[in-house]
Amino acid sequence: MHVQKIRIAVVVCVVAACAMTVAVTARGSSASGGKLTVAGVIAITGSSDFEGANQAGGLYPAIYAINAAGGVLGNQVVYKGVDTRGDPADALPAVQQMLATTSNLIAVAGPDTSSAPTIVPVLNSAKVPMMAVAGESVYDRNTAPYFWRLFPPDAANGTAMALWAKRKGYTKVAAVFGTDSGSQGDRPGVIASLKSLHMQLVASVDLTSSQPTYLSSVRKVIASHPQVIMTESDATTAGTFFGEMKQLGGLVPIVGTEATFTSPWLTAVKGALGSAFLKEYTGLITAPSKTTPAVKAYQQAVTAAKKQVPSPWQSYLSNPFSITYYDGMIAVALAMVATHSTKPSVFNNAIPQVTNPGPGKKVVYTFAQGKAALAAGKHIQYIGATGLINFDKYHNSFGNQEAVQSTSSLKPVELGVVTAKQIEAVPVKGA
Amino acid sequence: MWGTLVSAIGFGVVLASIIAVAAMGFTIQFGLTNVLNLSFGAVMTVAAFAAYLANRHGVGGWSGLVVGGAAGAVLTLVLGRGVFKAYARRGARLFEMMMVTLGLSLIIDYAIQAISHNNIYQFAVLQSTPLQLGSILITRTQLIIVVISIAILVALQVLLRATKIGKALRAMAADPDLARASGIRTDQIVILTWLLSGFLCGVAGVVYVINSQSVGYTTGQLFLPLVVSAAILGGAGSPVGAVLASLIMGVVTEVVSAFGSAAYSTVAGFGILVIVLLSRPSSVRGGQAGHEQLTL
Repeated sequence: MHVQKIRIAVVVCVVAACAMTVAVTARGSSASGGKLTVAGVIAITGSSDFEGANQAGGLYPAIYAINAAGGVLGNQVVYKGVDTRGDPADALPAVQQMLATTSNLIAVAGPDTSSAPTIVPVLNSAKVPMMAVAGESVYDRNTAPYFWRLFPPDAANGTAMALWAKRKGYTKVAAVFGTDSGSQGDRPGVIASLKSLHMQLVASVDLTSSQPTYLSSVRKVIASHPQVIMTESDATTAGTFFGEMKQLGGLVPIVGTEATFTSPWLTAVKGALGSAFLKEYTGLITAPSKTTPAVKAYQQAVTAAKKQVPSPWQSYLSNPFSITYYDGMIAVALAMVATHSTKPSVFNNAIPQVTNPGPGKKVVYTFAQGKAALAAGKHIQYIGATGLINFDKYHNSFGNQEAVQSTSSLKPVELGVVTAKQIEAVPVKGA
Repeated sequence: MWGTLVSAIGFGVVLASIIAVAAMGFTIQFGLTNVLNLSFGAVMTVAAFAAYLANRHGVGGWSGLVVGGAAGAVLTLVLGRGVFKAYARRGARLFEMMMVTLGLSLIIDYAIQAISHNNIYQFAVLQSTPLQLGSILITRTQLIIVVISIAILVALQVLLRATKIGKALRAMAADPDLARASGIRTDQIVILTWLLSGFLCGVAGVVYVINSQSVGYTTGQLFLPLVVSAAILGGAGSPVGAVLASLIMGVVTEVVSAFGSAAYSTVAGFGILVIVLLSRPSSVRGGQAGHEQLTL
């Protein structure tokens, strides 16, 4: 009886080991003609659901562009949404389930700021490359090999805002931020940059989301007589706050973080401010408003994928988050082509090889161009819709920031540039 | 200092007025049916969208209140008679019914999310110039919202205290079995309660978006905790209690916001709820706890 139990246990162990081997092999090396999955680990529902929309607005066009060019090594790329609800407690089981059930997982788009501290170690251990939009400064010196960030750290965006405000001659600043994790993540960078640039913070207000009114906070800000407000919050909160500010006659110029340059935020604040919106709002964003060949390719891909992206599809034509996800996905796909492998442990290190500048590299602006150049045996540098991509040793890449206004159709109009060198020159402490 | 305090109290009254309209609707229904209706926020959102759509089709200004109120009344009646009553017949009790309302709330919210494509829509139909009332600077729109809230309270008090329907409502809220035995048409009174509560819920949704100037699928969902708190703090079935509780929450929220951190202002409002309920478990008005059966 005892021997029989041992035999059964051995058989079970062997079967389990075989199953695990098959699963691991299936995830790592896809046969030609199969499907490769890119998972969007992001808030798809909940109060941060706009993050999921921003991501889908960039990933679907990227997948369209890749598949239209014949896919990756004969494989088509498909998208799988993994809902974090903007909460680490929901994110962890969702990601664990994804890892257990997704075959041919090549990369993750995300995670975002709120779930990154929980999710990044898990994905890194599972050797899944991730194109994160987490702005936390802890990733400025990232050591996780599978973590990549094409997005400026929160502090850089804050510094760019402060530099822009100073350039416009403002010295008295009010900081108005939502209490949500994304907004609070950007707040320290703004405050620290103001100190570094010797600008005066005359009021600092944190707004709990979606309250019926913010009259006392509005009064506090107006009474401090700021010349400019630096801000980030969710759309509804911003609409109410700035609407009340305008109605009480205290509206001053607004400089918003990159996160404010999204369709819901712009719609809400534009609705509240009316004609004053165009004059008073400036956003600091990564994406170039100039039409480079890569931007043109991105916009064509958005148009082609308009039935897949969330509505209104036009809002993603210039959405900085969507553009970042698009570039990240194209870079991953080109790295796979360059290494002739869909195995993350093989192509992960090749991501900078296809993006960073280098002698003798052929500059490409689309996946199709890159694939053709690689097939011709050339080394490539992919310049994306976000502009130059140059990953440092911490797997971070961010370039110049642009100050933009928004047109009535929510498109960016360039006002000026804050260069990466100018941002790096500001000694920001405590961000 | 005094100016800031007076101003904060004034702003608190505005905030309380917005909460109170919804809290009065909630408490009327809760007091009579005993259903802790967590779909109330979702109905507010539907009403706000109805007013938004009406506005897009030329129904301007304050007429949106009627549109939103009507939408809220119809939807609440459908839920009350079509869903809640069906579950009650199958033996659902207080807790089960609360879970049903929570489920419905999620269904309605996600349906609106899908239909509205996650977007925020502007509802800037009643922007107005500010008025200086001593230290208080508020807009005409906000002043009208305060007046609407007071008018609703007076109308409800007249209805409850000076009409046969009000008498029947109070009788049913106190003891539904005795009310039925006394010849009160309880079924009709329940229908009237759903309609009245739904109408106020709809009006509250529109008042909220008139002030916030935008409408999205989370509009009512995020507002619901304030409404439920005010209704519970005020005592089930008591419009006056709901208004008093709204005033406490509104003023505390704005005073904390003015003198401390706005981030903790809402927490302070809820803190008051906890303290009051600890000292007077029945409510801020010290009324009797209601019956514990569903009346549907």
